[in-house]
Order: sequence, then C-alpha cells, then structure tokens
Amino acid sequence: MQIRLFYPFIKKFGVMAATAIIVILLYQYYGALEYTTKNLSEFFRLTLEHFFLVIVSMATAASIGVSLGIIMTRKGFERFGSAIMAIVNVWQSVPSLGVIALAYAFLPLVGLSGIGVVPALVALFFHAVAPIVRNTVAGIQSVSKDVIEAATGMGMTPNQILFRIEIPNALPVIMGGIRTATAIIVGSAPLACLIGGGGLGFWIFTGIALMDMGIMMAGAVPVALIAMLFDALLARLERIVVSEGIQSGEYQEA
Amino acid sequence: MGIMLSFQEVTKIYPGAEHIKAVDSLSFNLKEGEICTLVGPSGCGKTTAMKMVNRLIPITSGKILIDDQNINRMDTIELRRSIGYVIQNIGLFPNMTIGENIATIPKLKGWDHDRITEKTESLLELINLPPGEFMDRYPKELSGGQQQRIGVARAMAVDPPIMLMDEPFGAIDPINREHLQDEFLKIQEKVKKTIVFVTHDIDEAIKMGDKICLLKDGKLVQFASPEELLTQPVNEFVKDFVGGDRTLKRLNLLKVKAAMSPAPPVVMKDESPEKAKSMLGELKADHLFVVDNENRLMGYVDKEALSKKADEVGDVTRSTDAFLPASSSLKDGLSEIFTHDLGYIIVVDEDKKVLGILTEDGIKEILRK
Ligand SMILES: Nc1ncnc2c1ncn2[C@@H]1O[C@H](COP(=O)(O)OP(=O)(O)OP(=O)(O)O)[C@@H](O)[C@H]1O
Ligand SMILES: [Mg+2]
Repeated sequence: MQIRLFYPFIKKFGVMAATAIIVILLYQYYGALEYTTKNLSEFFRLTLEHFFLVIVSMATAASIGVSLGIIMTRKGFERFGSAIMAIVNVWQSVPSLGVIALAYAFLPLVGLSGIGVVPALVALFFHAVAPIVRNTVAGIQSVSKDVIEAATGMGMTPNQILFRIEIPNALPVIMGGIRTATAIIVGSAPLACLIGGGGLGFWIFTGIALMDMGIMMAGAVPVALIAMLFDALLARLERIVVSEGIQSGEYQEA
Repeated sequence: MGIMLSFQEVTKIYPGAEHIKAVDSLSFNLKEGEICTLVGPSGCGKTTAMKMVNRLIPITSGKILIDDQNINRMDTIELRRSIGYVIQNIGLFPNMTIGENIATIPKLKGWDHDRITEKTESLLELINLPPGEFMDRYPKELSGGQQQRIGVARAMAVDPPIMLMDEPFGAIDPINREHLQDEFLKIQEKVKKTIVFVTHDIDEAIKMGDKICLLKDGKLVQFASPEELLTQPVNEFVKDFVGGDRTLKRLNLLKVKAAMSPAPPVVMKDESPEKAKSMLGELKADHLFVVDNENRLMGYVDKEALSKKADEVGDVTRSTDAFLPASSSLKDGLSEIFTHDLGYIIVVDEDKKVLGILTEDGIKEILRK
C-alpha cells in the first residue's frame, strides 16, 4: 500500500533522473558540452529562436485551428466543413520537409520572401493546423446528442450551448489535437533553419555537414528536451482546463 | 382551476415525409396541476406532440396555448425556460457538477449566488439526495436512478409551471422505476406542476396520469381519466391496448380507502383481560385488535393470550402486521387479505390509527361499479 502511494513520484522522478543521465552522457561522450560552453551566447540565441518558432506557430495554429473547427460544426456549415476536412487530411500527409520546401517555393508567388522566419512560421503553422481542426470537429461532434437536446430544450441559446457545453466537453479531444500538433511542430522546427528560420536546427545541420557529432548533439539534445518540456506543459494545462467530470482517472504525464 | 395547456387541432407533417401526419389534428385541454400521460404504440406521435410544446419541433398547423397565449407568439428562449424538460437519456452536462447542472438556467437568468445555492439545496432535498453529499459530485459518479432524479431537479430549477417529460424512467430497471414513480408522485403532490408525460407503458400511463391521452397514428383515440379509460374504453383498439387485465389494473389504480368498511369493535389496551374475554364471546370471534388511547393499532389478543395472568390487555397483546395504510392500492389490499387469511385486513392512517377494514366483498363491490 505504502509503496503504491509513492508510485507516481517514483515514476515521475525516475523518468526525470533517467533523462538527466542520458543528457549528461550524451553531452560528455560527444564533447557537446564543451562546444556549448564555448558558444554560450549563440546557444542562447538559437534556443530563443527555437522557442519563438514553436510558440508563435503553435499559438496561431491553435487559435485558427480551433476556430475553424468550431465554424465547421455550426449549422449550415457542415458541407463546407467536409470539404475543408478533405483538404486538411491531404495536407497533413505531406512530410515536414515538403511543407518547408513548399513554403520556400510558393511564398514568393504571393509577394513574400521565401527565406527567413516568416516562411518558417507559415510552414510550421500549416503543418500543425490539421490535427487541431480535425480534433476540434471530432470533439464537438462527440458531445452526446442528448446533452445538446437537453440544453436546447431548457432554453440555452446556441452560443451558450457552444461555450458552456460543447467546447468544455470537447476539450480533452481538442487538447489531444493540440498536443499532436505540438509534437509535429517541435519535430519539424529544426528544419526551419534550412530556409533561414533559425533555431537549434542550425547546430544539428552544421554538425551533420561537418560530420561533427559534438556540434550535432549540442543542437539535438536541447531540441529533444524542449519537445519533452512542451508535452509536459500541455499535459499540465490539460489537467487544469479540462473539467474533473470528464477527465479519465489515470493520467499520463510525460 | 383554469386551462393551463391547450392543444387545438395541432398537426405535424415532417418535411420529406409529407404523406404521413406524425400528429393529426390533436386537441385536448389540460388543467393546472394535472399530469397528462401521452401513450400509444411506437411511432404514434407522442414525442412529436410533446416537443411541439417547447418548439423543439415546429407546428405545421393548429396551435398550442399556454395560459391562453399562443406559444408561437412567445420568444423561443423565454418559452423554453418557462417549461421544465426531462428526456429519457437524461442529458446531464458531464463537465458540470450536480450543483452546476441544476443551477444552469438560474445562472443564465442572472440570479444571485445565495438564491441559486438556496434553490439548488432545496431541490436536492426534494429529490432525497443530501446536498452536502451530492452538490459537488459529477454526473459520472452517480447511478442511473440518481442521475434521472437530478434531471428532474434541473428541470424544476426555475419553478416552471409546465414540465415535459419524455419517457423519464424508460431507461431505469423495473424495480427502481417503480420507486422513482412513487417518489415523483409525492413530489408532484407538493409542487403541482402541469405535466405532459410521454410513455409507451400503459401501466405507467395509468399510474402517473390524471388524464391519459391515447394516440394511434398521430390521432387521438381517447382522452380520459385512468378510471374512465379502464371502465369505458371507446373501441377495440383501446381495449386491446389497455390489455385483458383491465380489472386487475383497476385494482392497482383504486385506493383501499374507497373500498373500506367500518371498523369492527376493538379493545383499548388498558381494559381488563376479563372484559376482552367477554367481548370475544359476544362477537363469537377468536381474536380482537387492541388500540391505545389515541386509537392507534397495537396488535391483537386471542383466547390463549387472555388466559395469561395480566392487569391490562396491553400486557398480553401480540404484535401483528395484518394492517395497511388507506392510501395503498386495492391490489396490495387484496394481496394482504390473502396473506393473512383473516378474510379481512385492518386499514390505518399514517399514524397507524384504525380507520376501518378491507374485505373481499368490499373489493368486489367497488369493482362492480
Ligand atoms: N425528424 C423526423 N423526420 C421525419 N419523420 C419523423 C421525424 N421524427 C419522427 N418522425 C415520424 O413521425 C412519427 C411519430 O414519431 P414520434 O417520434 O413522435 O413517435 P413516438 O410516439 O414518440 O414513438 P416512440 O414510442 O417510438 O418514441 C413516426 O412515424 C416517425 O417515423
Ligand atoms: Mg418517442
């Protein structure tokens, strides 16, 4: 009994300790630590750029994706919705590198530079928005018809039903979409440096080009840590915003 | 009391199904405080008729009046908020606590916090769920029966004069359903709502309804009190629908009080055993019921008990369960008569005061009426 009580802590700290050990080993073994300390200011700049890329593309993808998803479930938009859904699904199957290449190739056609932070953000955004739209639609559609009927019959307006019933009950699914999107963004963000978007990808690709594992690890390890950090933050956020009444008892925190 | 709800030649034809009238010029009036059960075979238009009242389904022709006002002239949201709505699958909001569920419409109406708390608590008490224990729990943590009671409480949150209930106990197992029905009737005695109650179960319709509205293919077949429906079915369809056991159903419906005869002599508990013995002799009976000073039933004495040495009858009284409340159904009464094999059973009020007796002949006589 006693041991079981501590199980979550053991699990949590176990994961943290294992991560720390792996990070230290990687850093030591390949000499990444040395490279990072030598280039500390560049490290901070690249990290900051990386966070910027992830956060900005994530925030836009989440707000636009959720809004689109909601609009697609409103009365009268269903047909329009399935069309968007089809596009979104095809779009999502394009690999990250392809999206970046497309941004590079097509943004100049609409008068924007194909190089720099903006095309990188646009590419990341487009790549991440699909699962958010899809999950928002699925989440809202999964709210029981009886619940909606009861709400309507009681005299709630469509807006009240949307904000008090549909969205809160769809939140676990919507948050799932946002977590998937974040994983995609964090995974693709290193590619941004290929079109001049900056970020830690720069060290990774430099390392590959120079065949220097130290430089590569100096970029790759923080990228992996950032991915874990975002997932943990979103898991925490999910616990806060999702009503206790619809949370599944056992929760996985990354 | 005035007419609260009035259907006037109400017809519903669904778009895309023009060849059938889901509801076909339905007319009836419901007085304030009455429960009207809509009953009939599947697809006869019960749900459709009910949902036209709160305009979840638009009326094709005819009109529905609430308190003499045409519902089509009212604001939809206002109309719905003035009508309690309970559905078979309950539809509690899973993201809200029980308290929040009940408080939904009061909150939207802008009630202040204290008034909402007070109302929620009193409603939970009304449905016999202690507020302290249930207020902050979530729907998923409740049993089906408890959830259904919350559904009823939520529908009554803003004291709507009218309630619509679509098979509210349909998903509950038979034993709990009966319990919920009884409980609901008790609540109704206090709150006196005007209720449209949809069910496909004729027994439930008879039990719950002050009026029964029997539909077939969208048309009204008979609109009558349960007693009238059982004794004067207008045609073969009604007879069939009500079932061959009409008489037994009446037993269920009629109360013991209606068939009761005057009480036989009883003996007070502080009489002497000698007096009781002589009473037994006079009555040629083998036992006597004993009451206290306030005419409350205590038990019985027979020759054997009275032969023991005692100052008062009360000292040798044996307890008995051969009694039942006047509010019980005749069916229960008949069953008790057979169980106790006395040929009759004592009828008491809520305080166990003796009111009379129920005999087989008494039951036969009332059924003959
Ligand atoms: N949305 C709809 N569109 C077309 N026809 C409908 C619609 N809803 C119901 N109907 C039809 O209207 C008739 C009445 O249906 P309704 O749901 O009112 O029956 P009911 O008496 O409640 O039946 P049940 O006991 O099965 O619930 C049926 O013939 C049904 O097929
Ligand atoms: Mg129905």
